[in-house]
Amino acid sequence: MKKIRLAPLASIVVALFLLISSLYYLIIQPGELPLVPFWVGGLLVCAVLISFSALVLNRGADDRTRVVWTWGRFLPLAGDLVYFLAVFLLIFLGLIRPDQEFEFLGLSAIFTYNLVLPFLVLSASFFAIKDSINILYGYSTRGREVLVFSMVRLSAVFTLLLLGGIISVILFRGIGAISWEFLTQPHFRLGQQGGISTCIEGTFWLVMGAMLISAPLGIGAAIYLNEYSKHSGLKRIVTIAVGCLNGVPSVVYGLFGLALLVATFGLSLLAGSVILGLMNLPTIILTSQEALKSVPNSLREGSVALGATKWQTIKQVVIPSALPGVLTGLIIGVARAAGETAPIMWTAVTFSATPVHMVYGIVPDVFQPVNNLCYHLLNLIYFLGAWDVEQNAWGTALVLLALVLSINMVAIIVRNHYRKKISW
Amino acid sequence: MDPPAERGARRPLRSGDIFVEALLFFAAITSILVMVLIFYFLTYESVLAFRDVGILDMILGQKWHPAGEIFGMAPIIVGSILITFIALFINILVGLPLAIYLSELAGPWSRELLKPAIELLAGVPSIVYGFLGVLVLVVYLERSFDMLTGRSILAGAVLLGIMFIPALTTICEDALRAVPKEFKEGSLALGATHWQTVRRVTLPAASSGIIAAVILNVGRIIGETMAALLVVGNVARLPSPVFDAFDQGAIFTSVIAGEMGEVAHGSMHYHALFAVGFVLLVIVTVLNISADLVRAAIQKKFGGY
Repeated sequence: MKKIRLAPLASIVVALFLLISSLYYLIIQPGELPLVPFWVGGLLVCAVLISFSALVLNRGADDRTRVVWTWGRFLPLAGDLVYFLAVFLLIFLGLIRPDQEFEFLGLSAIFTYNLVLPFLVLSASFFAIKDSINILYGYSTRGREVLVFSMVRLSAVFTLLLLGGIISVILFRGIGAISWEFLTQPHFRLGQQGGISTCIEGTFWLVMGAMLISAPLGIGAAIYLNEYSKHSGLKRIVTIAVGCLNGVPSVVYGLFGLALLVATFGLSLLAGSVILGLMNLPTIILTSQEALKSVPNSLREGSVALGATKWQTIKQVVIPSALPGVLTGLIIGVARAAGETAPIMWTAVTFSATPVHMVYGIVPDVFQPVNNLCYHLLNLIYFLGAWDVEQNAWGTALVLLALVLSINMVAIIVRNHYRKKISW
Repeated sequence: MDPPAERGARRPLRSGDIFVEALLFFAAITSILVMVLIFYFLTYESVLAFRDVGILDMILGQKWHPAGEIFGMAPIIVGSILITFIALFINILVGLPLAIYLSELAGPWSRELLKPAIELLAGVPSIVYGFLGVLVLVVYLERSFDMLTGRSILAGAVLLGIMFIPALTTICEDALRAVPKEFKEGSLALGATHWQTVRRVTLPAASSGIIAAVILNVGRIIGETMAALLVVGNVARLPSPVFDAFDQGAIFTSVIAGEMGEVAHGSMHYHALFAVGFVLLVIVTVLNISADLVRAAIQKKFGGY
């Protein structure tokens, strides 16, 4: 019994080595492949171990544990072994050489040796792991479960690596650009020097304007739909409209703003705020509705029974109970408004370095265009090849990412905090 | 003295209520109004282009050449289809297993870590993805595939596919979680393994939610602007062969966002870009409504969750 299990285990170990090393070379593309002899040997070892363990699979097994070789089990195994052999021969006989390049189907990409070879080894090692696990578990359903669930776990690891990768790349490249001057000075010489103070200001006022429009409209709509509307027809139509609005691409909002608002107000903070506000509307309606729905009816009935009118009930009882949920929606709306570029590209922003013009020193002049973090970053990306703006672009990206992620983090914390605290 | 004022004088509390209700009603119908206005303005601005070029010529025309006043959307449509398929493949390949992991396998500790991570990933602004796409992904693809330029349909598809993993995972996880425990316990009690239960019981029961999530994600991928604009290369010509994802290309959003900045207001090019936006809006709206219908239909047929 022990002997049978040792061979597939060994082949899993060898195949894992092949998998990880070939994946590494496939992703990193270092230019030369020093591990090729090991890969050839490893493939051969895998093939031998797998065929050996398949041959002795039924030795010493009683009737209960005996594995029946159906075509469905045998053919994939045989196919994989042929594949190992083919890859082995391709490399061993020098049919694929370091200076070779492959093109097929007229695709405008060239597949070099450095790309093809690790890919062949990667796929072969994946099949080797599959077969070894199957043999190890005697082709039971348990083996399949182990295989599938380990791949499912890999997707979780991949996601964490992705988030970690995005944050760390931007953090490490951008941190060098961040200084007090960068945050408090306007940019000059096309963003090659100076900072992003006007963009931060512009983003702030755009988001404020957007929330001024979307918060009352969104929360109001949610209250009406959840508390007042007796008309199920109207409710249904509004729900469909909100669903559609939620899916409307941001660039279409930009076109809408260009056709409707820019014709009237010109390129202005007002036009941008209205468009961002309308874009945020569905998010805020949906989250507020969700929050209102979770308030139990007994609270409303209790309030009405005490003689309160409907609006008093809503104002004093329903809204305070639903506040955490509504607040979460608003905060997510702020983050979205701060991170959107397409809707404001032609409606509200210019690549200007002049600070936002203030009326009476406190209210921004809403008929003037502003600059914005996203738009600033977009312009810097366009300038990348021509001028020396890369450092400032990383810095801008870091500020934008930190801003949006920290706002989202606040939303998550608020929600989790109240979810634990409130129990009806 | 008119009757409403008299009634208001007698019952002061109610009049305030009616006023508030009217305000709230207005807020509620705003979204209908906005939807109608969006459709109206996009139709209004694009009708000139459709009339001038002809609807069929515009949609099936093989060349998009604004300088020569030739506006055919076939290259844009082909690019969009290619990008959608590849992006959706990547999207489902990672997003669905992740949802299964979160709803079935994750212990409390890894859930506490992964859930916020996914929500944060969903919040990363698209321009930041675009920025990373230009400086990391495009350079990487260029080097590995020896391409003339890394800006390609493939780059856009990889970026969009990764971008919308959180959106897919969140909805799929909700759908998987909504499957009643009794179903799974019944399957496990019959001797099925955990994976057999997931595959034969949980996934089919949650299929309505999963399919709706996929359709919604198609809409998101087609409608995403900034990330696509920066990495697809924005060259509106038919790739040859048609499935050549390594070529530069253009999609609806990248054409609009890339060209709208420099067109003269009211020119034919301007109207043609609105026409592109109109087609995009129609596609996305149809997708959104059909996601809803599919969910309802499957739920009715199989009693899904």
